[in-house]
Amino acid sequence: MSGETAPLRAEARVLALRDEGGANRRLALEVPGWPGFAPGQFAMLQAGARGSATRRDPLLPRPMAVYRELPGEGALEILFKVHGRGTALLADLRPGDALGFVGPLGRPFPDAPAGSRAWLVAGGTGIASVYALAARLAGRGHAVSVLLGARSEGDLMGESDFAALGVTLEIATEDGSRGRRGRVTALLEDALAGGEEGVVYACGPTPMMAASTALAEAHGHPCWVSLENPMACGFGVCLGCAAPRRDGSVALVCRDGPVLPGADVAWEGLS
Amino acid sequence: MSVDARVDLGGIALRNPVLTASGTFGYGTEFAPFLDLRRIGGFVAKSLTLEPRRGNAPTRIAETPSGMLNAIGLENVGVDAFLTEKLPALPEGVTVIASVFETEIERYAEAAKRLTGSRVAGLEVNASCPHVKSGGIEFGQDPALLRQLVAAVRRATDLPLLVKLSPNVTDVAAMARVCEGEGADALSLINSVQALEVDVETRRPVLSNVLGGLSGPAIRPIALRMVWQASRAVSIPVCGMGGIASAEDAVKFLLCGATAVQVGTLNYLEPGIAGEVADGLVAYAERHGVARLADLVGALETA
Repeated sequence: MSGETAPLRAEARVLALRDEGGANRRLALEVPGWPGFAPGQFAMLQAGARGSATRRDPLLPRPMAVYRELPGEGALEILFKVHGRGTALLADLRPGDALGFVGPLGRPFPDAPAGSRAWLVAGGTGIASVYALAARLAGRGHAVSVLLGARSEGDLMGESDFAALGVTLEIATEDGSRGRRGRVTALLEDALAGGEEGVVYACGPTPMMAASTALAEAHGHPCWVSLENPMACGFGVCLGCAAPRRDGSVALVCRDGPVLPGADVAWEGLS
Repeated sequence: MSVDARVDLGGIALRNPVLTASGTFGYGTEFAPFLDLRRIGGFVAKSLTLEPRRGNAPTRIAETPSGMLNAIGLENVGVDAFLTEKLPALPEGVTVIASVFETEIERYAEAAKRLTGSRVAGLEVNASCPHVKSGGIEFGQDPALLRQLVAAVRRATDLPLLVKLSPNVTDVAAMARVCEGEGADALSLINSVQALEVDVETRRPVLSNVLGGLSGPAIRPIALRMVWQASRAVSIPVCGMGGIASAEDAVKFLLCGATAVQVGTLNYLEPGIAGEVADGLVAYAERHGVARLADLVGALETA
């Protein structure tokens, strides 16, 4: 499976929707004609059948990382948080309900050089963007360290899935309710102090990705980030998701990303 | 019964009346995974300036009730790259209309001149650009400026000429008559409605540009009203747009006097929907015993 797979627009069906506590939801869906995806790619999701009122207000679909494929033809899993009206409507879906789907979209995470370590730093919904990457890297024999951050224990997503991959898993929460108290970037700082060669991958709040990029640069490691800007289309025509680059140009998060070299991003210009 | 879907939009022969709107359809090829572009009447490409433009800083879009605001800043590849890279990438048989946007009349005319003789089927002048020399008022908001603009572009090209009107005016019929008087072949309306959204936590505008253009189903009744007013004021054809999300929406525009329609914002969330609107128009005509889609144009009964 490559990042070159052409996206499709489909009416997807809900297979299951699970409340995982707090705002966290786990959605299993069936996408007719699903062509496969590469870790880091995303899809645009919108609750309701084609032409229904929920597809008109709120008007825009929500970009979400493809978490993983499930057994069964075209079956996928998405992890998300109920945050606003669009995600609240998705959280209200029941098995059998229809939803709009466009995907897979965007450029995936590049591989790490053979034999090198990979540090995956993720916070908030960014955790959902790196699970497939962790699975792939672990499957290819890389030493993988996954560093997950959240405000509080109940905000963490997917922890047991990562644990099941057999990767090194460390957790930080801002309130100290789980793992180390503080920011996930403090875990990265310690991990990189070991002096090992490797690649950093980060997805989460903008300040966290900016700090991860700076830490990786200080140690001479490449750092790939996955940006989460709002967007209307997901395939390069609305131009709404522009992110400024350090060289003065603009990247479209949907088309040039969502995965970009962290060193290319002008972090101070991202809202 | 077979329905005749063909229409003539100011000298542009369309296989059906469904186009897609400038700024919502890129340069066409982006939609290749979702739609055969020969299924629709054609598309209006992203507005071009003489030189490539980079666009505004984030945040560029905001969601609003049944709509969205945008202030992209007319990011585009420029006329030359459009001619050498974008146009040749389109399959044969696709009808493409170029859109131009500039800050001075002479530059609009120059852009029109460079596009003449290419494979574009027509030229749409986006008149919603602020005129720098007049302190930032839009060309389309001042009848005298609009008159000069249309006259200059008319002199610069023999392509079928559409003028895209701003809805941010008091009397759209007067603007329509100005364009007809200066030789425009057709009118497109409406462009997005100037609007503002606010973040109460930061007490700041959501968009970096402060103001943006509102589009989507939220503006559809405004668009229908203005299409009805403009089409009654002129004898040149009108291309109607504003939040079209279904074939039924497109029928409303035809009834209000539009000869053709453009699907806009819905291309973002339902890529390929323009093909369904085109098929749905024919299905509507079959259901209602209408032999030609052109027979629906202006058929609104108000008595």
